[in-house]
Amino acid sequence: MLFHTWVFVVFFLIVYPVYVLIRRNNTAMNVWLMLASYVFYGWWNPWYLFLLFSTSAIDYLMVLFMERSRTPRGRRLWLIVSLVSNFGFLGYFKYSGFITDNLNALLAAAGLSIQLPDPVAYPNALLGVMGVSAAHHFVTVILPIGISFHTFQSMSYTIDAYKGNIKMERSFIRFLTFVSFFPQLVAGPIERARNLLPQLQSAPRITSQDITDGLSLVLVGFFKKVALADYLALYVDKVYAAPANFRAPALALATFAFAWQIYFDFSGYTDMARGIARVMGFRLMLNFNNPYVATSLGDFWNRWHISLSTWFKDYLYIPLGGNRHGTFSTYRNMFLTMVISGLWHGAAWTFVIWGALHALGRVLTRELERTAFYRDRIPALLKQLFVFAFVCLAWVFFRAQSVGDAWLVISRIFSSGWANPQFPIVMLVLVMSVWLYQFMYTSRAVLRPLLELSPVRVTTAMLMIAYLAIVAQPSTKAFIYFQF
Amino acid sequence: MGQPQAGNAQSETGSSNAIRLSGREWLIVGAFALALFVLAPLCWQRVERLEPQPDYRIPYDLSNDYWLFTRCADAAVAAHDAVLIGDSVIWGQYVTREQTLSHYLNELAGRQRFANLGVDGAHPAALAGLLEHYAAGICGKDVLLHCNPLWMSSDKHDLRAKEEFRFNHPQLVPQFVPRIPCYKEEVSRRLGVVVGRNFPFNGWTSHLQLTYYDKMDIPSWTLEHPYDTPLKPLTFQLPPSDNKLRHEPIPWTQRPDARPLDFPWVGTDSSLQWRSFRRILEVLTQRGNRVVVLVGPFNEHMLTANSREGYARVKRAIEDWLRANSIPCLVPPALPTELYADASHPLSEGYRLLAKQLFDAHFAGKESR
Repeated sequence: MLFHTWVFVVFFLIVYPVYVLIRRNNTAMNVWLMLASYVFYGWWNPWYLFLLFSTSAIDYLMVLFMERSRTPRGRRLWLIVSLVSNFGFLGYFKYSGFITDNLNALLAAAGLSIQLPDPVAYPNALLGVMGVSAAHHFVTVILPIGISFHTFQSMSYTIDAYKGNIKMERSFIRFLTFVSFFPQLVAGPIERARNLLPQLQSAPRITSQDITDGLSLVLVGFFKKVALADYLALYVDKVYAAPANFRAPALALATFAFAWQIYFDFSGYTDMARGIARVMGFRLMLNFNNPYVATSLGDFWNRWHISLSTWFKDYLYIPLGGNRHGTFSTYRNMFLTMVISGLWHGAAWTFVIWGALHALGRVLTRELERTAFYRDRIPALLKQLFVFAFVCLAWVFFRAQSVGDAWLVISRIFSSGWANPQFPIVMLVLVMSVWLYQFMYTSRAVLRPLLELSPVRVTTAMLMIAYLAIVAQPSTKAFIYFQF
Repeated sequence: MGQPQAGNAQSETGSSNAIRLSGREWLIVGAFALALFVLAPLCWQRVERLEPQPDYRIPYDLSNDYWLFTRCADAAVAAHDAVLIGDSVIWGQYVTREQTLSHYLNELAGRQRFANLGVDGAHPAALAGLLEHYAAGICGKDVLLHCNPLWMSSDKHDLRAKEEFRFNHPQLVPQFVPRIPCYKEEVSRRLGVVVGRNFPFNGWTSHLQLTYYDKMDIPSWTLEHPYDTPLKPLTFQLPPSDNKLRHEPIPWTQRPDARPLDFPWVGTDSSLQWRSFRRILEVLTQRGNRVVVLVGPFNEHMLTANSREGYARVKRAIEDWLRANSIPCLVPPALPTELYADASHPLSEGYRLLAKQLFDAHFAGKESR
């Protein structure tokens, strides 16, 4: 179920009034939200619900066992069981194909005739033992939508409980609601238990400002997704489907457009998620904060997919040692974190390279920031443009179908000659307007007050509505990040 | 409800932009949106004039422009005593504007009495939706309704086939009940269609796309015309009434691909299209129209002997039902074989013959009065 479809409108028109009426009864509220969230998720494929329920139930039980365990060793054991099960599910559904393909290639390169079977063979073998006929076997391993998001959210609970940062949630239903809460279930923000669970423990207060702010977030998110991301996708998809047919200008502009497409797509989803939660009285964390005005790669990751970057910081970078043991280990930790973050996005070498490039960028801009010349003499705007250009370069690997395609795009951008890119001028105007808006908004002292004037805000909202109503095409295009 | 303190937006609620509206501001935006949705189609109607010429028929390329159909229907009702409703047989697939059934009826009446509201590809399930949702203006009129048995000639034509296939005017057919087995659109789009039918603004935006943007949505159009402003195509001029020949007007017997057809036919007791046709009659009569039904005439010459028998059974059942329900009808025998262009479309002379039969049987008396 997608936020920008009529099915969701109907779904929410049923869920919301009931929720408002029963929210003072905490058990009823949590049961209702859990049921609604399971319907929301099962709408794609009801089989996904088994996975969602299983990961939630295992993590709930592991924390329960941790609490009952008297020794640190026992607690660690239950944490390991939880991590193994979570990474096991994630590994099988998301990475098994990638691992098998690469191992098979290695085996072949080593001259061995042994080949690992397709990962779907394992459950099918089990079905065979159970007497299920081959006609009813699985054809392929399907990747459940948003698996990385809800697995990470659930895992953060067990890790925090192990560390003693949070108390165990007694109510199983409330815990199921925490993991499956429908506004942020499939593409985040990846909420922490310490932020969302307390909100589920009492009746959320819904003020008129919650409703107006929530609606504002939904409008902005809807505009980002339908009017901007899906529009940019028309050009990006055309060029990246066959990059060999295009030359430098089209490839550069398609990469530029993709940078904005993925930002509008993902942050549009997040805005809608936060807006929907807000009208229900819940406050979800900020996930994007104008990342394309960042002045360094570190700054970029403080603004882009904040819930994921803080997750990796808290549960990977800092446990690895963070920046506490000198420059080399800091950069090693940074590199590992970014590469694993790349792999989190998808099981392909392109994502690994994307993560590695960002690690390199972070190291580079961090070192540059240490020099007085770069820090004090280079104008912020130039730094912002440099960071944006670097991020765009990295997006090539994120968007390309293969490493070969990515190299082709990059080599052509830097070598091949001129050809009319046929890039719609309207597209450029829209993107540049948003960029300008972001520069104005982030320049706190000077221009931001202009944007905060009531007539400016009202006129902007009106223009967005008019554009959505008249120009934007009806869309049921899924969000890019659902695949992660 | 207080004015939000946008200056503290980020620290207060974690916002990355200034677009946070207060309740009062939302009311202003809501009023603007309401005005836009209500007034834009109305204003457009005043600027983009529709002045139907004699024998006007909706441009073929705008067959899916249901907002324009509403305007055409209103204009036809205002200027004519009777309207002809049906698919491309009424529209005149193989003839020019001056060779259609409505033209010959007007010729016999000696004035512009009959309006052509035929829509290409409008099978009964679609026609029922078209009349129900986009033709409220057709009331208290004489209506000549064409029943084209072609739509009952097979499970596929009758939309009963189980496998999915693309058929005409999916936006006009029932989206949920009765269920159409071959229509497998996702629920969200179906809901969108249902909402759009009750929302003229939606029809207006489709009209803009169909009329001015080469049948594309505006974003896709900008991809085809990257350096043009999207305002450029807005000429406020409707295309003229269609007078082009869509196909060569030659008898079916002279077509290289002509072959006998062995349609299996679907009985009226189980036909979805026949049920839809009855719904059309219900809608039209409820609106106080006097309906005359023209059944066929189908090109029986093109059928195998077996299929011809099936067709006869269907035709008889239709006629029996119409007579049992006291609905005036004409069930003419098949036209001479050389007057058909294909299985159901007559050529110009065929229309002339049909017009004569129809006029004499159902309209001549009124004209003399």
